[in-house]
This record gives sequence, C-alpha cells and structure tokens, in this order.
Amino acid sequence: MKSLKISLILVLASVLATSAQTVLKISGEVATPLALQASDIAGFPHVQVKAADRDGKTHTYDGVPVFELLKKAGVTLGGQLRGENLVKYALVRAADGYEVLFALPELDPDYSPRTIILADKADGAALPAGTGPYRIVVPEEKKPARWIREVREIEIKFAK
Amino acid sequence: MKRWLLGGLLIGCAAFSMVKTTPFPLRYPASFGNRISVPDDNPTTIEGVELGRYLFYDTLLSKNNTISCSSCHHQNKAFTDGFALSVGVSGRPTLRNAMSLANLLWVRDFFWDGHASSLEAQALVPMAHPDEMGLPPEKAAEKLNRTTFYPEKFRKAFGTESITPVLIARALAQFERTLISADSRYDRFLSGKETLSAAEKRGLAVFEGSKGNCTHCHGGAKFFQNVFHNNGLDASPLDPGRQEVTTQEADFARFRVPTLRNIAVTGPYMHDGRFKTLEEVVAHYSDHVHASRTLSPELSKPIHLSTLEKQDLVAFLRILTDSTFLTNPAFSNPFVQGRRY
Repeated sequence: MKSLKISLILVLASVLATSAQTVLKISGEVATPLALQASDIAGFPHVQVKAADRDGKTHTYDGVPVFELLKKAGVTLGGQLRGENLVKYALVRAADGYEVLFALPELDPDYSPRTIILADKADGAALPAGTGPYRIVVPEEKKPARWIREVREIEIKFAK
Repeated sequence: MKRWLLGGLLIGCAAFSMVKTTPFPLRYPASFGNRISVPDDNPTTIEGVELGRYLFYDTLLSKNNTISCSSCHHQNKAFTDGFALSVGVSGRPTLRNAMSLANLLWVRDFFWDGHASSLEAQALVPMAHPDEMGLPPEKAAEKLNRTTFYPEKFRKAFGTESITPVLIARALAQFERTLISADSRYDRFLSGKETLSAAEKRGLAVFEGSKGNCTHCHGGAKFFQNVFHNNGLDASPLDPGRQEVTTQEADFARFRVPTLRNIAVTGPYMHDGRFKTLEEVVAHYSDHVHASRTLSPELSKPIHLSTLEKQDLVAFLRILTDSTFLTNPAFSNPFVQGRRY
C-alpha cells in the first residue's frame, strides 16, 4: 500500500514537472534569478525583426527583446549600465552546451540601434526541434554564429 | 577585545591546518586556451598530483582489491581500455564505453551524459558503482586510513592524515588534470617539425572542409567542443543519454562529444563501443546516420564521402596519436612491478 502511494506521488510529481518545466533560466549577476516557463515567455512583450539567416534569405522573426528578459531579472541596464557595470556580459547557453557571449551594451537600446531578440517564431511558425523553442536572433550581424539555437540559459557575469 | 581574541583564535586554527605545498605547473599550448576548470578549493599541487597518481593505480579502492581506476583507463590506450563496455568487480558490463582521460582540464561536464560538473564530483562515481569498483567512498577512506602508506601522503597534500572521500576525490582530480596531450604528429606538423603525407594532408582538408563539417563538433586545438549531440547511431535509440540528467525531451539520446586526440588508440568507438575501427566510424558519418527526433541538425544531410576521402580522413585521424602522452612516465603506474607498499 505504502509503495503504491509512493508510486502515485512519483507519477504526480513527474506529471507536474512536465507540465511546468523551466524552459529558460536567467542567473548570475541579477537581482532576481528567473526560472521561466513557456507561458511566462509568451507573456512578455514581443517584437518583430527581419534578419538574414545562414541560408542568405531574409526572414521575419517574432520574439522577446533580450533586454526585456534581463530587465525582469534586475540586470544593471538602462541608467545603471555605466562604470564597472560596463564589463558585465551575458553568457547564453544552448541545450547542447554551445555558448555565446554578448556584452551588456549590445543588448541595451540606450546603446545599440539593433534589437537582439529571443525568437520563438520564424515567418509566423514556431521554431522546429533542434532550433527552438527559443533562438537568439541578432539582426545585421554578418555571420550568424551567435544566433544560438535551443537557448536554455542566460548567465550574467562580470569580466574578471 | 573579545572579537580580537576570537579572530586571533581563528587565525591560529587556520595556521595549524595549513600545509606547505608546491603548485604543480600545468603546461599546455597557448592554442588550448585558459578556459580550464580548477576549483578554488582544490589547486593543483605537486603533492596532490603524486598522491592522486598512487590512488589512480591502487586496487585498494575497489570492493575486492582487484580493480583500480587504471583497470579501465590504460595509459597506452590514452586511458581507455580497448573494450566496448568495461567489466568491474561484479563481472557485469558497464552501461557505456570507458572514456579517454586526455585533456580533462578543459572538459566542463563529465561522463557520456555529462552528469558530473567537476572532476571532483566524477572521481567517486566509478568507485561506488556496483559494476565498476563497487566500494562506497567512505569505506575506501577507511581502508586507506588503515594503511601505513597513505596518511602521510594525505598530510603532505592536504595537511591532514584524516582521509575522507572528499580528499580522495580531490587528489584523483589533481592527477587527472595533469593528463595533457598536445604532442601528436599533427602538433609537430603545425610547429613545422614534421611533414605530412599526401593522404594525411588530403584528410586534413576533408576534416576542415565544409563537406565533412567535422570541426563543428570536433574543431579547435583540443579536437572537441563541450557539447552534447545525437549523432544518429539509431533510428530508435535505447539509451536516453543526456536526457537522464536534464529531464528535457530535446536531450534524448544526446551524448558528450569526445576528443579526437589519440582517437586511433581509443577504440571501440561511440558511447556503447559499437564500432571497432575508425573506418566504421567514418562510414557511419558518411553514409549511415539514422534520423530520429533529436538528431543533430548538423548531421541531417548525408555527406557521402568518396572511398578516397574516407581513407584520407582516417589517415589524418591517425596523426592525432600522441606517443609522448601514451608513454609519459609521469602518468604511469607508480607502484614498482605492481608492488603496492
């Protein structure tokens, strides 16, 4: 009987874990570490950018400006992005372990004319497995090596 | 006043447990980069590395005193064992193939599924595993404490004769960080000391070219990226791989990308040791990648190398063997003629 109860609890726990899975973590030099679920990301303001992918063709991407995500975590952006905070960076990590780096000013509209987004749609369709659910899109960047696919984590760090 | 007294006492205690050690110089080419993993609480020291080397080769760390780390990690095979799966104290085969220990200083997640994030965390896992060394680390510490040999070695390395699993792991990790392989024929070719045959040069071109795209996962001076991929071994993979660690569906059947350095001596290949030869491995990537829901997008289009390209690629892979590494006396069994102490 006891083992039946335990199994039921385990099944319930795994169901809950699946339905409320963290899809993006934001950690490091932040005021509030975030563990976001898909519904949280869907609730952020979305923008649309046009950018050319590796295939050379221009596509329309929908997504959340990375700036908005980092602001929610209390990263030193906007008026706070000065002095020593200028040597902070965002390390973006994918599911497969691939990592790329952005200096904070690259992500801040006070500094940069382009909007780097965490895309969840390309040409109106959800990103396919192996690319999505989330991919960084960097408009105007000539080589898309930082368009990191399957984004799982953003860690804010200080250069030492 | 009280606070000063307490401070003085604390400093006194710290001084009492302090030990004089000598930093171990980790030497490697600039091209390897300095993104190395050495935890602040376990700096690499001459004394720690020496102790770790003894522990690595000591069968006392197994349940029945027959298996050491070196039983499945032979130096002359770049610290692999030549078997598809290894056999430990239970006689049952392990779940996955024994990995090479070359250049772990740059590895960020250990094991095929990356479930240990430091060498210190990794070291005790095979010790405790019933199908590997089968000895709970606490029991291992007790056994070492009972010897006349080890307490003194631990005192020199860590300032205490009280041996614990944490200190065993730290010593093993220190030794493993010194296992640096950077002197293959390829390295000598890069520094102008060696010439390559025509086949080897053509193989290098295939390796670096966009057709093979081998460098996507195996690029850079260390011949691996710290990434996990499903490399299309099966249409219906049985081993969930990385998914067991992250619980994420997208990580199903993904495994760590191993280094290609010394690859000619580390067969059989893949996480389950299914391929006996490099020719079979190259044939897989060229013509036999199976699609499945988490297949790496990099492998989704067959590359179909020609017979000559395959032969050349294998010829290139063979020049990644580092005979200095395979025979370096500093990495060998320190117990003279198998005698322990």
